[in-house]
Amino acid sequence: MIRIQQILPNTKITHLILFLAIIPVLQFADAQNVPQASEEGKRVYEKSCAHCHGTEGRGDGSAAENLLPKPRDFTRGLYKIRSTEAGELPTDQDLLDIITKGMPGSSMPGWETALSANERREVVAYIKTFHDGFKEQESPPRQISLAGKIAYSEESVEIGKGLYTELGCIECHGNIGRGDGTSAPTLTDEWGFQTWPANLAQSWNFRGGSDTEDIFKRFIGGLAGSPMPAFEGDSFLNFGLTSAESKRLTELENRDEMTAAEEEESGQYYEKMDAAVNIALNIAEGTELSAEEQQTYTEAMKVVYEKSWHLANYVKSLAPEKRPEPAIGNNVLRSQYVTDALPAKTDAAWDTLESSHFPLVAQVIIEPRQFNPTIDSVNVKSFYNDTEVAFLFTWDDRTHTTAEEDEETGNILEDALAIQFPVKIPQGPTAPKPYFLWGGRLPVYLWQWKASAPDQVTELTAKGINNAEAQAVQSDIQAEGSYTNGQYTLWVKRALKTDDKKDLQLEPGVFVPIAFSAWDGANGDINTKRVISSWYAFVLEPVPSSKRFIYPPLVALLSVGLLLGLRGFVQRRNS
Amino acid sequence: MKTYLLACFTVLFACCYVGGAFADHHETAEMTMLQFPESYKAMSVSNGGTISGVVKFEGDVPEMKMLEITKDQAVCGATEKFDETLVVGEGNALKNTIVYLMDISQGKDFDKAAKLEMDQKGCQFNPHVQIVPVGVRVTMLNNDRVNHNVHIFSSVNKPVNKQQTKNRRKMPLAGVKKAEGPVSVKCDIHGWMSAWIAYVPHPYFAVTNEMGEFTLENVPPGTYKLGYWHEACGTNNESPAAVTVEAGGTVKQDFTLMLKKNVAESGKHN
Repeated sequence: MIRIQQILPNTKITHLILFLAIIPVLQFADAQNVPQASEEGKRVYEKSCAHCHGTEGRGDGSAAENLLPKPRDFTRGLYKIRSTEAGELPTDQDLLDIITKGMPGSSMPGWETALSANERREVVAYIKTFHDGFKEQESPPRQISLAGKIAYSEESVEIGKGLYTELGCIECHGNIGRGDGTSAPTLTDEWGFQTWPANLAQSWNFRGGSDTEDIFKRFIGGLAGSPMPAFEGDSFLNFGLTSAESKRLTELENRDEMTAAEEEESGQYYEKMDAAVNIALNIAEGTELSAEEQQTYTEAMKVVYEKSWHLANYVKSLAPEKRPEPAIGNNVLRSQYVTDALPAKTDAAWDTLESSHFPLVAQVIIEPRQFNPTIDSVNVKSFYNDTEVAFLFTWDDRTHTTAEEDEETGNILEDALAIQFPVKIPQGPTAPKPYFLWGGRLPVYLWQWKASAPDQVTELTAKGINNAEAQAVQSDIQAEGSYTNGQYTLWVKRALKTDDKKDLQLEPGVFVPIAFSAWDGANGDINTKRVISSWYAFVLEPVPSSKRFIYPPLVALLSVGLLLGLRGFVQRRNS
Repeated sequence: MKTYLLACFTVLFACCYVGGAFADHHETAEMTMLQFPESYKAMSVSNGGTISGVVKFEGDVPEMKMLEITKDQAVCGATEKFDETLVVGEGNALKNTIVYLMDISQGKDFDKAAKLEMDQKGCQFNPHVQIVPVGVRVTMLNNDRVNHNVHIFSSVNKPVNKQQTKNRRKMPLAGVKKAEGPVSVKCDIHGWMSAWIAYVPHPYFAVTNEMGEFTLENVPPGTYKLGYWHEACGTNNESPAAVTVEAGGTVKQDFTLMLKKNVAESGKHN
């Protein structure tokens, strides 16, 4: 047997051991170790990335046509998710992070498990070869400083809320951030493809993460290639003024008329702003600054950063920390019993219930399919009493489409929701349910609601996604629908039992399968082109029986009696 | 949760397997962009000549499309607005054509006093085509009292995407480093707003007016390639007109342009 010492001297062995010991460190090290572009990077890219991003990195792979957001075209060097300032390229770490974690709400998956750390680094190096800017870089890109972070507080959120309006965020993201701004339907990206503004209430779909720092970085750096502008000095609201001055100027500007003194005051603010903007432009043009100019610029940028933190805190306040758990297991939808009449649509009683969350996904099984869903989920609450059940459905949709002609197909598009139940409730958890896409051999019973008739629900029976029919006899179902700030609210009430055999009959304590379909007319949804859920379940939560006040004391009494009797018996026998 | 994940994967797989070539929308830059000399030296020009002419449109003049105003009606919808992609005036005069010298390497300096502005009045850019010298600032005007978003789709220079909030009447933009263009200018807030900026390295560029007229003045004597660019009609990059300028003289050169695809079909150039 050959011993290692025979081949290598001791010092070399030590080196070898040391080297082996740092391999794991290298494996998990960050992007500082991104190698030069290699054959390996090309191989991994062509195997895992080119289907969408194209072999030449132009974002034109074979799958690209059906994707929205479109896969990134790497040749332009425009990257949305960066830790670097506006106009800068991303760092290697930024690229590595996106590849590792993916981009929520888009088709870009995380590759943490599918590719090794080394393969991911090789791909970063290879992707950079598509854009010459990386080669021509003279210095590392300027990183956004997170040093002055302003902690989350009610005050900060309030300031941020004011800025949200002042900066014009509302134009695209809407009054309270659901991505329903009046400019939302016409937005296009750098390549001319349609793009939707983020729904700020659904932080789990933020492409670059939903931490306050992530949001802040999107403001300062901008989302290159998208319509979202960066908060750059020269274009930021009232750049060069302190927050107090800025507030005062806005106040003056919003007056119909100014006095001579006020004119002069605002004139001074303008001079100050012009000077600061001039410095910012000099920087952009590469002009050297004097120490004094540098000082003015630093102070002005400090205000931009402060305001951006406040705005980031406001955006943070608009969404839950993470996506709510789906309505299964402990979160299953439980209709709550009330003795009195069921609450009307706007009744405050609804606020006492937690929503059950039903995620929706694109229907890609049957043609025509929808590959680019815009409706994320539907949230549901429910009450019932001895005779009726009421549901409150809410779902976000960026556009309110009641009847719009599709220019390409001539179809009349509109927003809609369908709630699906089986006609017959399966007996037991293993009994077969109808096919989740509107039934098949086993039929389903549906409530169909359309935005053009918001106070009406139609009962359908279906034996397949293309085989649905309105019931000849419509039960008395009350419905009320509305659209506000990017969200639909639909209230529906029906009797627990009907005379119609094609209807679902409800009983407390029985788990009932439930599923959803939703259509966003503005997204071209029609017929099978829609978002769907598979079967979930809901239950009319059984009323705690009044018998609980009788049986337990009775049992206790009996037990005591028995014990006493037993004791008596034993005593008698012993005596 | 499992079902949800499964559905997500189904979507992904389906997306991956659905084929279909992606239409190639990249036109070659040489065909659609202005041509710039490798270098340009400014000097004093005495006894230069003038090139002038008229650009006309040939073909059926399509009716101007009225823009659909989808928001800020009080300001943007106060007057009717038309798509300015193709503006044909009396006698088929073609507005908004850039006419320029392709290969001039020395000549006059820029007019430093010229005010470079682009207005956004009533939610429409004015002018529709603006010439901006390299390194010079252009000021965006906003007297609309609505928010605008100035988005300039540069690729040679850094793209510009700046919010011009409703109270900001004047927003100067940094001078660019390289000649480029024309590049598209849009407002993301008002999707119908559209204009063009050409960043140019020398002053021999003109944009035709309503009468289709252009004039290039103070051109040093010599023979030059005279090029044009029009948003809808394309360029004559493949066969620019040759013009010879004599000291103190005026040379006329007219152009007749057709819509881009017609040009391609007939292979005809002026």
